[in-house]
Amino acid sequence: MEDNVVMNAPTLPSKRREVEAGSRSESTSKRRRLMPSGYLWILPAMVLCVGIIYYSVGYTGYISTLEWDGSSPVQRSVGADNYAQLFRDPIFWQAIRNTAVFFVITFAVQTALGILFAAILHSNVRLKVVYKVIIFVPVVLAPSIMAPSFRQIFGANGQLNQVLEAVGLDFLAHPWLADSATALPTLMLITVWHWTGLTFILYFAAMGQVEPEVLEAARIDGAGNLRTLWSIVLPSVRGTTIAILMLSIIGALKTFDIPYLITLGGPNYSTEFLGTYIYRQSIPLANVGYGAALSIILLVLALAFAITVNVRSQRKES
Amino acid sequence: MFETRSRSAKIVLQVLVTLMVLPFLFPLVVMVQGSLAGIGWGNYEAVLSRPELPLFFRNSALISIATILLVYACTMLAAFAFSKLHIRGKEVYFWLILAALTLPEVILLTPLFSTTLQLGLYNTYWSVILPLAALQIPFTVLLTRSFMNGIPDGLIEAARIDGANTLRAFWHIVLPLTRPIAAAIIVLTFIGAWNNFLLPLVFLQSPDTQTITLLPTFFIGQFNNDQTKVLAAAVVTALPIVIAYLLLQRLFERGLAAGAIK
Repeated sequence: MEDNVVMNAPTLPSKRREVEAGSRSESTSKRRRLMPSGYLWILPAMVLCVGIIYYSVGYTGYISTLEWDGSSPVQRSVGADNYAQLFRDPIFWQAIRNTAVFFVITFAVQTALGILFAAILHSNVRLKVVYKVIIFVPVVLAPSIMAPSFRQIFGANGQLNQVLEAVGLDFLAHPWLADSATALPTLMLITVWHWTGLTFILYFAAMGQVEPEVLEAARIDGAGNLRTLWSIVLPSVRGTTIAILMLSIIGALKTFDIPYLITLGGPNYSTEFLGTYIYRQSIPLANVGYGAALSIILLVLALAFAITVNVRSQRKES
Repeated sequence: MFETRSRSAKIVLQVLVTLMVLPFLFPLVVMVQGSLAGIGWGNYEAVLSRPELPLFFRNSALISIATILLVYACTMLAAFAFSKLHIRGKEVYFWLILAALTLPEVILLTPLFSTTLQLGLYNTYWSVILPLAALQIPFTVLLTRSFMNGIPDGLIEAARIDGANTLRAFWHIVLPLTRPIAAAIIVLTFIGAWNNFLLPLVFLQSPDTQTITLLPTFFIGQFNNDQTKVLAAAVVTALPIVIAYLLLQRLFERGLAAGAIK
């Protein structure tokens, strides 16, 4: 069963149709006349995509060889200097480390929670719709809308500390976002809150396709609940897990809204990500050339990971 | 999935899932509670009386609608051609669009910034609509093409034999069959456009064109960091999309699930 649309390699249906058309000479002449029109149909999408995205990538590549503030007419070509500087930049490496830790933990927690919620809500519990709505609502709320609440909750006098004090854990109370040791874990927690609904919905839909007979057979063979989940359900939702892995990698590399709005990358760069660092260099600091070099590195990383996941998942399947 | 034979097992599962969803509810409760602190509903009156609020809403709505229309039209046309028409080197074009799937939007900032300035598009809706649509189209084309591959070619051939041209076959036969995937496209694009923060942050500097995602930051300045009013503003801006989700719950879930399930 191929249930994984995201990674599907394109097929070549056009060849087959040509052969079919050849056998029906009456429609062939008509078809010939219609053939060129295929280009016109894809033209709007190509113009938008290629026109904006490829143009921008090319332009960014060019800017990355400049020393430029983005608006003045003075541009100085510096060759690969921006890239050389980047590899010596401790904040760049800090951003890479933050992104890696952030990805591993948020992916693991979201996947585990998504599977658990999906399995429980496919079981015999009441008020399923209520639980589904509660888990899913964060997905539709923009981080920018929620940021003021989160800054308050995790503040020194915030609700989290109040709860901790109420249950006698005062020694844990803490300015969560102002301490560089806890700022990144706090942002991970907020990210998990935001996106678990999405992994849950994807797994919920995928588990709906697992055949009840297979589960029944496992039960008759004496497998318990967790054993069934691990050995029967998980392998059959593998396509979904790969799709989520892909979304999480790209999502981690893109991370901008949550750190920018809640901690501004601080304290002391402890929550700096590639996205926020590119923004900081390009807009407030006006080091446009350096920001562009960072952008190109980000693009290379995103493409490399996407291709790796894609190739490895296809090799495993065959 | 989990089998619960005994009554106690049922109760344990129900209690467990209830405890597990509480943290998801917590920030929302804090937001609503905080917005009612101090002068209570007065916070909402203060926020709703600001002339910027309807303006920001209108801007977000216009940007979302234009993006949805653009994405829908481009996606349907391109996916139909990729699935059913002859194009020489089709897969090359298809991969050109697909490669853009991985692209983080932050990469577009500098080139688009100087380009929109030169073209006089800076501070206009188009400076946000066009990149939003360009970033959305790769994913929707991928989804829609595989959906259209499921529509039998015979249907279109039959229409042609009856004398319909490609455009008529597309309009009268293919489009009505693509309603489920159209719903997914609309929902995905709506969430992406309505919630986008980075593009408006960079390209929309005048309050005339700014969107609701910039509203909390805007009100932090306006209300002198009065947290209760900022939270009231957050609730007011969150409500439309929460209501839209509650009304169209199945549609939202199907739309997002369409990404991973055929």
